[in-house]
Amino acid sequence: MAKVEQTAKDETGFEPKIVAFLCKWCSSAGSDLAGVSRLQYPSNAVPITIMCSGSMSPMFVLSAFNKGADGVLVSGCHPGDCHYLKGNFYARRKIYLVQKLLQFIGLENDRFRMSWVSAAEGAKFAQVMHDFVTDIKKIGPQTRLKAKRP
Amino acid sequence: MIDVAQLKAHAKGLLEKGTVRTVFGYRKSTAGLLAEPAGITEAAQADDLIFDPSCVQNLALYLVNDKKHQAEKRSDDKRPVAVVAKGCDSRAITVLLQENHFSRESVHVIGVSCEGTGVVDARKLARKLGNKKALAVAFDGADAFAVTTNEGTQSIAAAEVMAERCLECRSAHPTLSDVVFGEAKAERGLHTPFQAVKAKIKESEEDRWAYWSRQFDRCLRCYACRSVCPMCYCDECVVDSISFVIAPDTTAEEKANRIKWIERSPAKSESAMYHMVRAIHLAGRCIDCAECERVCPVNIPLRLLNTRLEMEAFETFQYNPGSDPELPTLTSSFRDTDPNSFIR
Ligand code: SF4
Ligand code: SF4
Ligand code: FES
Repeated sequence: MAKVEQTAKDETGFEPKIVAFLCKWCSSAGSDLAGVSRLQYPSNAVPITIMCSGSMSPMFVLSAFNKGADGVLVSGCHPGDCHYLKGNFYARRKIYLVQKLLQFIGLENDRFRMSWVSAAEGAKFAQVMHDFVTDIKKIGPQTRLKAKRP
Repeated sequence: MIDVAQLKAHAKGLLEKGTVRTVFGYRKSTAGLLAEPAGITEAAQADDLIFDPSCVQNLALYLVNDKKHQAEKRSDDKRPVAVVAKGCDSRAITVLLQENHFSRESVHVIGVSCEGTGVVDARKLARKLGNKKALAVAFDGADAFAVTTNEGTQSIAAAEVMAERCLECRSAHPTLSDVVFGEAKAERGLHTPFQAVKAKIKESEEDRWAYWSRQFDRCLRCYACRSVCPMCYCDECVVDSISFVIAPDTTAEEKANRIKWIERSPAKSESAMYHMVRAIHLAGRCIDCAECERVCPVNIPLRLLNTRLEMEAFETFQYNPGSDPELPTLTSSFRDTDPNSFIR
């Protein structure tokens, strides 16, 4: 990710760690655009580039929460725009199921999100990140699935 | 009502002619009420076969295990194997066919209809009988079981001691079979499917987490639920690093670099991971045989977790696991009309 601005810490000093799985062809480029356009948005994301949202394994989501992520974002190309034509349609079904499962066991609703962000939507990416960070700050650190490792 | 003599004769015929290698069926157990799975290879053993409400196990598991054993033995006996399958078991076989785990020709399905009554839940029955001990259980008409105890035989309404999943069964008749014994009965419809899940969803997030976190904390990670599930057939399992295949040419570096997705210790966070991985891998594949829940030594409500995603498959994607071997699987297909509004 290119240039991002540091946000002011809130009173508790809690800065959410967000793992963002970004499709190389769209959302990853979208986040770059947000950077080079000098849009201001929180720098809480650890971006991980994936080849397509369709290559997103539910294991990545679970593992991120297990290793202490406060939020996980999966972002891909808009329906119809996937570089591999159908990848994001498979992803949509899979991610939907993962989300329902995580909600069912009582992980806070706001911790797992999916978005469609094209390479041209730098502003949308900034908005998605901004909203995500704001919502997670309200619910605090993720403790439910986090491993208690020494 | 199913005629067990016909079932025995059919199995005997198959083995006499040598058209199948093994028949997997049920026989009376030497320990306790529930039948035991039996793999018979001689025609004379066919007389041991039974079918009654104590035949709870899903024998599709033995098809999966048999495939592994045949590969280990490097056997070149390519004859099919026969298997006795209830409605739910036949759906498991259908899922395995959908996934090309074996071919249709390699399995001869002896379908059995459990008709009005389904199979018994041994725990419910024990509770019902109090200090009497059940020795045998038989079908008794369309809606009762004849239960034999040390004090004689009594008739009990099936709905009172039937397995939970049988109460909700949406197709008690085998969907796939080469031969069927017993009458065709479609829905049993005693309970509305997914009602337990729906009640749980209504609880608050806090309450649900309190509930599941207690369950995850109790799990021993004995993996009995994984071992008994016919759908858990992978040689290597992500949740368990000791299952990773080590070949003669696997280098120390490769071994060291294997991803450990979760720790093997039964800590709460790791067991939560295990159950999430298990549930998501069974999405659209679990056919609700409830074997996992039955074998769990600490009564983790595994059915509740499985049926959460089965409900989604059925209600959101109109997908019914094990209904058609030609259908693409739930997660290898999509529709333009799939939910989209949850995405920003
Ligand atoms: S849920 Fe039950 S059967 Fe499965 S690993 Fe845990 S203790 Fe064992
Ligand atoms: S998860 Fe449980 S109920 Fe579902 S197929 Fe496997 S053993 Fe049967
Ligand atoms: S290439 Fe972007 S979602 Fe498939």
